[in-house]
Amino acid sequence: MTRRDASWMILRAAAAAGGSEFFASWIAAGQPLPPSHAHRENPFAPPEPDRWRSYRPQFFSPEEFEILDRFTELLIPTDETPGAREAHVAPFIDFVVNAAAEYAPEMQTEWRNAMAWLRARKFANLTAEQQIALLEEMSEPERVRGKTHEGFPVYQLIKNMTIHAFYTSRAGLVEDLEYKGLAYLTTFPGCSHPEHHQV
Amino acid sequence: MQKYDVVIVGTGACGGWACMELAQAGFKVALLEAGSYVDPWKEFRHRWPYQLPFHGSGQPGFLRKYFRGATEYNYRIMIDDRDNPYTTPPDQPFHWVRSRVLGGRTLHWARASDRMSDFEFKAASRDGYGEDWPISYRDVAPYYDRVERFIGISAAPANLPQFPDGIFLPPMPLNCAETIFQAAARKIGLPCTPRRVAQLTRSWNHRPQCHYCGNCVNGCDVGAMFNTIVSTLPPALKTGNVTLLCDSVVSHVLMDKENRARGVRYVERYTNRTVEIGARIVVLAGSTLENTRLLLNSAPGGLANSSGVLGHYLMDQISGAGVSGFLPILRGTAIRNDDGKAGGLYIPNFSNLGSRPGSGKFIRGYAMSATGGAQLFPVFAPHVPGYGSTFKRQVKALYPAYARVWLSGGEMLARKENFVELDPEVRDRWGIPVLKIHCTHCDNDRRLYEDFFERAQELFHAAGGEIVDAKPTIGIPGSLVHEVGTCRMGANPKTSVLNSFCQTHDVPNLFVFGGGCFVTSGDKHPTLTMMALTARGCDYLIDLARRNAI
Repeated sequence: MTRRDASWMILRAAAAAGGSEFFASWIAAGQPLPPSHAHRENPFAPPEPDRWRSYRPQFFSPEEFEILDRFTELLIPTDETPGAREAHVAPFIDFVVNAAAEYAPEMQTEWRNAMAWLRARKFANLTAEQQIALLEEMSEPERVRGKTHEGFPVYQLIKNMTIHAFYTSRAGLVEDLEYKGLAYLTTFPGCSHPEHHQV
Repeated sequence: MQKYDVVIVGTGACGGWACMELAQAGFKVALLEAGSYVDPWKEFRHRWPYQLPFHGSGQPGFLRKYFRGATEYNYRIMIDDRDNPYTTPPDQPFHWVRSRVLGGRTLHWARASDRMSDFEFKAASRDGYGEDWPISYRDVAPYYDRVERFIGISAAPANLPQFPDGIFLPPMPLNCAETIFQAAARKIGLPCTPRRVAQLTRSWNHRPQCHYCGNCVNGCDVGAMFNTIVSTLPPALKTGNVTLLCDSVVSHVLMDKENRARGVRYVERYTNRTVEIGARIVVLAGSTLENTRLLLNSAPGGLANSSGVLGHYLMDQISGAGVSGFLPILRGTAIRNDDGKAGGLYIPNFSNLGSRPGSGKFIRGYAMSATGGAQLFPVFAPHVPGYGSTFKRQVKALYPAYARVWLSGGEMLARKENFVELDPEVRDRWGIPVLKIHCTHCDNDRRLYEDFFERAQELFHAAGGEIVDAKPTIGIPGSLVHEVGTCRMGANPKTSVLNSFCQTHDVPNLFVFGGGCFVTSGDKHPTLTMMALTARGCDYLIDLARRNAI
């Protein structure tokens, strides 16, 4: 698999894979993060293109788009680093799903159904606390073995696409993850840690 | 009909090399490429995912026709599978990963460049399975030297008989994860060294050094990695002896009444016009399986096939998903440039090297690779449960700790029942019959993979790593893109298609360069050996032609 191979197929495969339990235990056992490092942005990263400033949703209805925007914001919130909002995740998803008409119309059906499920639960009219409570319920099968929830496929669909959209955006890749690659360097900065030379 | 000294079919690693050598020797060469022309200075540049309309994944559904390996970055240098189909029996999937473009797969190859050893060339003499190559390491060594000197290999000497050293530029330093794996390998007694790559650590042979962007598989923007269009093609064109014809899909080798090749027939890709081109010598270098397809299509029963083995003994080195997870020591550390060199740590074969090869669970050997650290896209993120700020912090903490161990190549045994033939019905867009590929694994192949799978986990644990994903299933044949065989070389014309110089036994002025000649797959990355054998074949061809003995 190449490092660029972040295709829809992978996102789909990930939804079916069974890594969650391991992560759940790892997170529970994990120590607190060290104090955050001095943030140094990749000097080679070009600016965000201007494509989203005047973007109008083309696939989702205004109500659906509002739901999507809110849902993705809950998944990747703005905190000490930018979130889904700054990364234009909802407009990106609208752009992608709209473009699916040509070669992957089944993707449009999938998203339309997901939005119908959330609309049926009046997601847009819920309070912030109620929205989070619903999200917590929908995502439970991810954390608790044997649990099922009829909204889980909806949660996975939106989460996987949000992850793709966010971590390939400038806000996610450069500002949040602080990716250092795609540079122009004269030497490769190899490992300089004595503690990594023995196990 | 226009007449050349030599017509070369294909512009990949071997076609490019043959073109350079033969043009420099004064031959008038026609170089044919089925795909389109590419200018690296215009078309290859760094691109960030957010600069692409679909952030790298392409319009939904669009990349399906490019099968596998293609992304929004590089699909133009991959192949359209609907124009270029192939078939398999329904229960025998095979992944045939191809490119049709000037430079072929050298434009996006993984650049790993290893020498094979007599453990591989003479494996049959050691363990009694199959056949030896008609050559030994000593015959190929000077040509490995020649190719390495020209293309530039970054590597460290390892002083291992099963992994011969060569002429090296300084190696690329290991990143943190690779350094940890190095310590782990030493701890459990495995040999290891930085992966040997055809990627320059200093300027070399009129090409600039690598600038560690990690963009290699999308086309190098400066020519620091070896490919045809920056390395072998410019000096070839400089001779003035080369006529380059792109968009020319070769369908047949043409023969005369004296059983000599007289040229090739091709179809112009966009006009569908059929053209014949004449030459005193025909060189096929269109990739392992395309060469064999051409021979099969050029005469009933296959051209140069008096032995009956043309198409047989197909191999692709054994692969599999391997093992991935995290190195906890790297969790939450500062993000570093970890994927700028796309190299890794290489663990050369350590199996069956003693005096009793095959006394264990399997015969032959395999090599592993390991790497880790922050790689452009956090592929593990969809597996991380939860959402919100906690989720974001988890992904960020795990980003530099991601690690994986994979099978670089395991020897797949050469078996006659693994073969290719022309499909009796299916044709490609230009009306040329396509290959039907029959390839399965044998018990030894599976036992070898099982051994790798255990060792990979052992290595991961020795590194203190936590395994998240480990798949015990052997990869679909073809997946490693190390397909070799089907046109094997040998001393006996009754059991082989080529002699040791890649000249067909049956047709003296027909040469076949590439992986087709391989008698065993070995456990090394095959491209360097294909190029060295091409260089050796070219020497022989030039000598014969000068003595009028061809």
